[in-house]
Amino acid sequence: MSNALKAALKRAQAHQRRGCPEQQQTPLLAVKVELAQLVISILDDPSVSRVMREASFSSTSVKAVVEQSLSSSSSSSTTAPASTFTSPASPALFASSPGGGLSHNLSIHASPARNLYMNPRLYQHRHSSGATSGGGLEEPRREEVKRVMDILVRSEKRNPVLVGDSDPDAVMKEVLHKIESGDAPPPLQTAQVVSFAKQLATAAVASDLSWIPAWIRELGASIESEMSRGHGVVLDLGDLSWLVESPGGASIASAGSQTRQIVSEVGRAVVPEMGKLVKRFEDRGRLWLVGTATCATYLRCQVYHPAMENDWDLQVLPIASRPRPFPRLGIIGNLSSSGAAAITRSQPPDSTDSSAKILCSVCTESYKHELARLVTKEIKKSPSKVEDNKALPKWLQLAKLSNGGGTKPSTSLLQAKEEEQELMGKQSTEELLKKWQDTCSRLHPSFSQTVLLGSPQPDSESTQSRNLVHQRKIMMNASSEQPCSLPRSPVKTDLVLGNSRASNTLSEKTHTERVKDFTECTQDGFSIQQRAKVTGISDMDAFKRLLKGLTEKVGWQQEAASAVATALMHSKPEKWKRPGGGAKGDTWLLLIGPDKVGKRTMATALSETLFGTAPTMVSFSGTSTCSNGDDGESNMVSRGRTPMDRVSEAVRRNPFSVVVLEDIDQADGIVQGGIKRAMERGRLLDSYGREVSLGSVIFVLTSSWLPEELKSRHESLILLEQKILYSVGHGWQLELSAEKNPGKRCADWLGNGDQPTKLRKQSSCGVGLSLDLNLAVAMEDAAGEGSWNSSDLTTEHEHENGRLAVKCSTSSSASQWMELVANTIMFNPVDFGPLRRTVSDSISTKFATVVGDGCSIKVDEDAVDRIVAGVWLAGAAFDEWSERVLIPNLRQLKCNLQADDGVVVVRLSVVKGGPAKSSGDREWLPTSVAIAVDGQWTA
Amino acid sequence: MGIVEEAHNLRVIGRADGERGTIVLAHGFGTDQSVWKHLVPHLVEDYRVVLFDNMGAGTTNPDYFDFDRYTTLEGYALDLLAILEELRLGPCIFVGHSVSAAIGAIASISRPDLFSKLVMLSASPRYLNDVDYFGGFEQEELDQLFDAMRSNYKAWVSGFAPLAVGGDLDSVAVQEFSRTLFNIRPDIALCVAQTIFQSDLREILGLVMVPCHILQSSKDLAVPVVVSEYLHRNLGGKSIVEVMPSEGHLPQLSSPDIVIPVLLRHIRYDIAV
Repeated sequence: MSNALKAALKRAQAHQRRGCPEQQQTPLLAVKVELAQLVISILDDPSVSRVMREASFSSTSVKAVVEQSLSSSSSSSTTAPASTFTSPASPALFASSPGGGLSHNLSIHASPARNLYMNPRLYQHRHSSGATSGGGLEEPRREEVKRVMDILVRSEKRNPVLVGDSDPDAVMKEVLHKIESGDAPPPLQTAQVVSFAKQLATAAVASDLSWIPAWIRELGASIESEMSRGHGVVLDLGDLSWLVESPGGASIASAGSQTRQIVSEVGRAVVPEMGKLVKRFEDRGRLWLVGTATCATYLRCQVYHPAMENDWDLQVLPIASRPRPFPRLGIIGNLSSSGAAAITRSQPPDSTDSSAKILCSVCTESYKHELARLVTKEIKKSPSKVEDNKALPKWLQLAKLSNGGGTKPSTSLLQAKEEEQELMGKQSTEELLKKWQDTCSRLHPSFSQTVLLGSPQPDSESTQSRNLVHQRKIMMNASSEQPCSLPRSPVKTDLVLGNSRASNTLSEKTHTERVKDFTECTQDGFSIQQRAKVTGISDMDAFKRLLKGLTEKVGWQQEAASAVATALMHSKPEKWKRPGGGAKGDTWLLLIGPDKVGKRTMATALSETLFGTAPTMVSFSGTSTCSNGDDGESNMVSRGRTPMDRVSEAVRRNPFSVVVLEDIDQADGIVQGGIKRAMERGRLLDSYGREVSLGSVIFVLTSSWLPEELKSRHESLILLEQKILYSVGHGWQLELSAEKNPGKRCADWLGNGDQPTKLRKQSSCGVGLSLDLNLAVAMEDAAGEGSWNSSDLTTEHEHENGRLAVKCSTSSSASQWMELVANTIMFNPVDFGPLRRTVSDSISTKFATVVGDGCSIKVDEDAVDRIVAGVWLAGAAFDEWSERVLIPNLRQLKCNLQADDGVVVVRLSVVKGGPAKSSGDREWLPTSVAIAVDGQWTA
Repeated sequence: MGIVEEAHNLRVIGRADGERGTIVLAHGFGTDQSVWKHLVPHLVEDYRVVLFDNMGAGTTNPDYFDFDRYTTLEGYALDLLAILEELRLGPCIFVGHSVSAAIGAIASISRPDLFSKLVMLSASPRYLNDVDYFGGFEQEELDQLFDAMRSNYKAWVSGFAPLAVGGDLDSVAVQEFSRTLFNIRPDIALCVAQTIFQSDLREILGLVMVPCHILQSSKDLAVPVVVSEYLHRNLGGKSIVEVMPSEGHLPQLSSPDIVIPVLLRHIRYDIAV
C-alpha cells in the first residue's frame, strides 16, 4: 500500500510538473502535490482500477471526469474533485442498472455530494435551522444546465434523464429554452424540440393501445423529415411518471381491491416502440431524448421497464435537492392576534398548519376568514368560564368531570359543560376545516388530489385525544338522560346488565337488585347506536354486523342479542387483562334463563357470524330436554372421552371458534372445576394432563337457572316451554281421524284423549308436579314403552326427588358461574301462547278452506304442542310444512269422507310410535299424517 | 455520525473486517431492530452485522416520516439503498422479515450488486386475495383492520399483537411485540400498515435475480403457507423454501429455538446448483 502510494505521489508530481512549467526547475525537497493531482494518480494505479472495476466503475472514465472538472473549473478545482474522491460517486451509482455498462460518467456537481437514495426529509431537517441564501439557488442550476448540455453533446449515453426530488423540471426547462433559442453547442444548435408527453396526451384518444405503434412510427417519419432538412430533434419526454402511473393517477389510498395500476398500459406499449425509434436514428446522432423523474419514479421505471435504460440509451443525471425554506402560512399568527388563544392553546399548531397543506390558496383564505369569525364567537360565549377552568390542572378537571357525571346538575357538571363547550369550539374548528377541505376538493380536484395523498392524518395524536374526550362527552349526555340504570364507566360491559363482578360477590342479597336492573335494562328503549355509544364501543361497524347476525337468527331475544354483541365487542379491549396479569384471548359468556333453543341458536349464530363455522356443542344436561344430534350422554361417555377432552380437542383444532358448554351447572364437579381453572389460567387441562392454550376461543356457557324472583314471575312460561320441548323428542306421528259420532272414542287412540285435559290441569298447579309428569313420561319413553299417560306413582315420586336434588345444585352452581363469568346474559322465557294460537288457528282455517263447511276440526292440545315444538326447533317453517304435509292429507281426507256423509268432527291428534328422530335431523315435524276414518287406516 | 446513520439508528457490529461477509438485518412492521436480538449473538463472531430501524418504527424520529415517500414500499427500498450506499460495505446477505423482505426484493432489482442473497422471513408479495391468488386477507377485513387502528390504536394493538405472534398468549414475545407496536405513533402505524397491506409485488417478482431463501412459519396469521410456494415459483432467480414448525408471524421472536438454527443455516449456506 505504501509503495503504491509512493508511486502515486511520484506520478502526481510528474503530472504537476508537466502542468505547471515554472515548477519544473525547482528541486523539490518537500513534496508538494495538489490533492487533485494525487487523486488522478491514484486512479491510475492498476490495483485501484481493479477495485473500481469490481464495483462496476471504470477508473479511466472517473479520471476523465476529474481531469475535465480540473480544467473547466480553474479556480475551484480543488474542492470539486476532492468531493468526488471522498465519496466515490455515490449518486451516480444510481445509474448502474442491471445491465448497465461500465461507461458511467461521474457527474458530480459542486454542491456537497449527497446520497441520492436518501430521504429528503433527513436533509431538510438538518438544514432547517441554518437559513439558506436564496441567491445561491441560481448558481447550481446553471451548473446543472451545463452538465445536461455536456451529456447531450456526447457520442453515447447522451440522452439525459434528470433525476431528483427538487424540481428537475426547472433545469430541464432551462435546457430546452437554451436549445430552442439556439444558445447551445454545435450539433444541438439547430435542433427542434418536440414535446413527446404533450403529444402523447393529445393523441391518447382511443382507450385501446393499438394506436401507439402507429403513432410512434408517425413520429419517426416526422423526425426523419426534420433531419433531412438538417435539423436534429430533441424529444422531450417530460416527467417520466406517465410511464409508471396510470393517467388517472390512481392514488394509493383509493386503489383498494384491484391490482394497482402502477405500470400504465401506455408505458408498457411505448417502451419497446421508443427503443426501436432510438435504434433507428442511432448512428445519425441527431435524435436526443430528454426527460425528468423523481427518484421514486425512476426506480419504478427501472423495476417495471428494465430494458428501458439501455434501449433508450439513457444517462441518469442526479439533481440534488436544495433545502428550501419551508412554506408556512401565517394562520397561527392571525389567530393569536385576534385573541383566540383560549381556543388554540391546546391545539397543536400542526393541525392548523395542515389546513394550509390541504387547501388551495383560495380556499385557505376563505377558511381563515370563517375560522376567525368562529373564534370570536366562541370567545364571546365563554370568556370567563374558560379562564376559570384553566386554573385547575387538567387531571383535576377530568376527575371532577367523572365524579360529576351521572349526578343531577351540580357545579361540577356545569364545569364539565364549560369544558364541553371549549371542546366544541375545537371540534367546530375542525369541522370547519373539514368543510373547507370538502369544498376545496370539489372545486379544485387537481389540487387536493395531489396533496391529500400523502397526509392521511396530519396530527392524529390530537385527534385521538379529542375523540377520547368526545366519547366522554357522549357518556355524560347519556347519563344525564338516564340517570339510574346506566353504567358509570364506559368500559365495563357487564354494567349494562347491572351485574358487575363487584356486585356479584355480594352474593344472593343483590339478586333482587340485579333482577331489577335486568328488567330495567330490557325495558329502556335505547337504540343500538345509543347503546353502543353509552357502553363505549368503538368499532361500530363490527358491532352492527354482529348484532344484525344475531338478531336475524334469534329475533325473539332482541335484548339478549344486543347484550351478547355488546359484551363481545367490549371484551376485546378488556379481555387481555386477567386478574393475575398477562394476556388473554379467550372470552367467556354465560347465557342464563330458559329458552334453550334461543340460547343454542344464539351461540350458533354467534359462531357463524364471527367465524363462519358451527360451534362445538358440549352438553352436560343428563336429561337432555331436546336431544339434538351430537350432544347428550352418548357422546359424553360412550366414546370414552370426557367432556373436557372434547372441549380441549375443539380448542386445539381451532383456536378461533365458539365452544358451547350447555347446562354447565349440571356438569359434574370435576368438569366444573376444570372449566373454572381454565378461566383463571387461560389454559385447559384435558384428561391426559395435556395443556391447551385457550387461544381466542369464545366460550358460551349456558344454564337454565334463573333468579328466583324472575322464575316465579315466568313460571308458567318456563313450564310450557319445557313441556313443549319434551314432547318433541320422541317418536310420534300425527293422525287425522274422522268421527261420525263426536261422543265416541276410537279404540286405537291409545288413550291419548285424556292427555290434553290433564295437562291443562297440571299446568295450572305447582311446579314440581308438572315437571315430574313430563320427566316421568320422558323416562318411560326412554325406557322403551308404556302407554303415554299411565304414570306409575312410585317412579314418579322417585323422579320428583331426583329432580329436586338436581335443582338445588343447579341454583347454587349457576350463581357461582355468574360470579366467575363477567358477561352474563339473561334470556327471557319464550311465550309460546301466540305461536300456539297461530298454529291452531291456521290449521282450522286450512281445514275450512280445504274440506269445506260440512265438518269441523278439533285439534288436540298435545298435537298443537308438538307442532309448535317442531316449528320452534325447525325454525318457523310452519306454513311450508302445512303446505307440504297437512294440506294434501286434508284433501285426501276429504276424498275419503265424501263417500259417507255423516261425519261431523275431524280430529287431529298425536299417535305414538313411528321412527324416532335420527340424530342431527332438522326435521322436527312429521312428514306425513295418518288418516283414520272410523278406525280404518288409510293412506 | 451521518444523517442516515442517525435517522435509522444504524449499528454496525460484529467482525470489523467482515471476513465472511456482511449481514443486514431488516425488521418488519411494528417492530424495530430489537426483533433480531436472539439472532445477533450467533452472527457477530463471523460476520459484520448491520442493524437499522425502518423509518416509521417507534425508535425513529417521527419528523422524518414523509407520508408521501412511504405510501409505497419503494420509499423504504430507497432508504435501504441509502443505508447500503452510506456504508459502502459491498454486497451483503440481506435478512428481511415480513415487509422488509419485500423491501429488500425491490431494492435488489434496482441494485443487484449490493445483495449477494436475500433471506426472506415470513414474506408475502401481496396480502390481499385475488383471482388465482391467496394472500390471506379480504379487502373488507383490511378495511376493518384499518378502522380499528384508526379508532383505538391501543385497543387494536392489544388485540393484534397476540394474533400476529400466535402461539402462547402470555409469552414474552407478545409483550415485546406490543411494546414495539405501542412505540409507533398511531398515524404513522396506520400509514405503514396501509402501505404494506396494499402492496403488490407479484408483477416484479420475476425481476428479482438475487438468490432468495424463503423461510416461513407453518402457521402464520398474515402469510399463508401457500404464499411461500408462490414466491418460490415466481421469483426470477434461484430460490428455496423452508417451512418451519413454528407459529406466528414473528417466529424469530416467539420461537427462536426453532427459527435461529434455520436462519443460520440459510445465512451460511447458499443454494446448491
